[in-house]
Amino acid sequence: MVDPVPLQLTGEVWATIAVVVVAFWGVAIWALIRTLRQEDRKVELLEGQDRIDSYSPRALADLREFVENNPEDPYVADARRRYNECVETLKGTDRQFYDWSEEEIDRLERL
Amino acid sequence: MSESEAKTARAEWGTRFGFLMAMVGAMVGVGNIWRFPYVAGQNGGGAFIIAFLVLLFVLAVPGLMAEVALGRYTGKGVIGAFRDVTGRGGLVGLGVVVLLVNIALMSYYAPLIGWTLYYAIHSLLGTFTGAGFGAEAFLDGFLANPVLTMTMHTIVMAGIAGVLLLGIRQGVERVVVVAVPALVVSLAVIAIRGLTLDGASEGLAFTFGIQWEFLFMSSTWIEALGQALFSTGLGWGIALTVGSYLREYDDVPLGGGVFTAIGEASIGILAAFAIFPIVFAFGLDPAAGAGLTFVSLVQIFPELVGGVFWGMLFFLGFFLAAFTSGLVITEVGVTTVSEETRLSRTQTVLAVCGLIWVLGIPSALSADFLDFADFVFGSWGLPLATLAIIGVIGWKLGPERLRVLSVNDNAGIYIGRWWNPVVKFVIPAVMLFIMGFFAVEEFGTPEMIWGMVVLVTFPVAGYGVMHYLEGRDRPPETADVAGGDD
Repeated sequence: MVDPVPLQLTGEVWATIAVVVVAFWGVAIWALIRTLRQEDRKVELLEGQDRIDSYSPRALADLREFVENNPEDPYVADARRRYNECVETLKGTDRQFYDWSEEEIDRLERL
Repeated sequence: MSESEAKTARAEWGTRFGFLMAMVGAMVGVGNIWRFPYVAGQNGGGAFIIAFLVLLFVLAVPGLMAEVALGRYTGKGVIGAFRDVTGRGGLVGLGVVVLLVNIALMSYYAPLIGWTLYYAIHSLLGTFTGAGFGAEAFLDGFLANPVLTMTMHTIVMAGIAGVLLLGIRQGVERVVVVAVPALVVSLAVIAIRGLTLDGASEGLAFTFGIQWEFLFMSSTWIEALGQALFSTGLGWGIALTVGSYLREYDDVPLGGGVFTAIGEASIGILAAFAIFPIVFAFGLDPAAGAGLTFVSLVQIFPELVGGVFWGMLFFLGFFLAAFTSGLVITEVGVTTVSEETRLSRTQTVLAVCGLIWVLGIPSALSADFLDFADFVFGSWGLPLATLAIIGVIGWKLGPERLRVLSVNDNAGIYIGRWWNPVVKFVIPAVMLFIMGFFAVEEFGTPEMIWGMVVLVTFPVAGYGVMHYLEGRDRPPETADVAGGDD
């Protein structure tokens, strides 16, 4: 039941409301805008060069580590294919989706 | 996954916005609107919200990422995805468990959508603002009239079937990209009106006032856990199915995890701003649950200036929230069954919707049965389904494989190795805890006994059926595997 004592809009309540608005609506709107912009960017790249790099530098490093550390893994063929496709795209296109430097791309090799 | 299977024609979302709205539309149901603000207020307000937020980020966001990633990686419904991971055999039956739980869930949710439809129709007719209108008698009259409840249940299932027959892009996506923003706008407009009422601030103080001592109570965290996991629909097969229609270059973590979980919760917060100022301004009982929506709020519309408009806005929004959830929940069954049989999408939609309609008859005829089914499947069925999906990812496929192969593939944000133990250990442990907690709380009651029946029979049935079926030759997949359009 409702507390019979009238509840007050104290500074603490206002602070909670502010935090909630930022933590929920702020994050949701940020995620929505960011992901929609990324989609636009991906579509633009796909239309311009037909393919895009599918992994960020850190994610591709993880993928390489997985392939190298698990040569007998049943999923390693798929992992290697994805890795090589990304490397080929990075070496064969002028514009990247993720923040790759020229040096990073030059160092990449197929597995 | 064989090359031929990988090349099978399959529908895709037309836009990323369509995928996002389908995810949020599926997760935002009636519970977000009447339950979240009240549960927050009863469990320490801001303290509850802190706990809820922590659990959303620690459990729901990583869990949803896992489910969407599995769907995108396999490009299959729940049973097909399980087959890709476990190989052929009885373990595929865990996918059947998810399917059974999903259909059971929908069987009592569809009649509830019928309630919201009935109220939406009467809000348009101006019934609630008519002379001599009695809210309680109106609800009792509706629930005691089997012709009315069955008619609403039937219309709802026919509507869902109609949309699903149009396919993923032409049907589901077209509805959700309109319905979900319309729901948000209707709640926002009501919130603006509610906040201008005298006494509205008490509603905000009730929901958002921090009672710090609640942060250290186990009951607060258990309530927050239930809200964070069940309101996001983690492990019901929805995220997996919706994710299976993602395009290759779509991102999983940002849209499938962060936006879905936080966006869905944001609508719960919006509902708090929309409803609780009105509840307190008119001195209603915030803990009335379904009664708050179907009895208490109905009574105050005639007292508001422009009551017909506000009632219409509220109940149409309420219906949209329920209908979009029902739509996507049913799609889980349609996608899965169409992949596993030789039936066309049209036949599958009719079969699945027909089955749900039949199973929903007891809940349509008895609100008590609906409550009972909700408790049994909410307390044991849904954690069981979540345990099946997250367990298969964590213990059979392996989270590291999924992380490097799918989660971080075309990802908007990078997901590190911290994600692996959450999926492998934390989420399954939490699901076991929830089932154990409810078993102890309800020890010896019919709810607990039926919960145990679900826990035992669903996996046994799933294992048995798939062990038998997987030993036989599978039919070749047709071009129209799922999705129906495109």
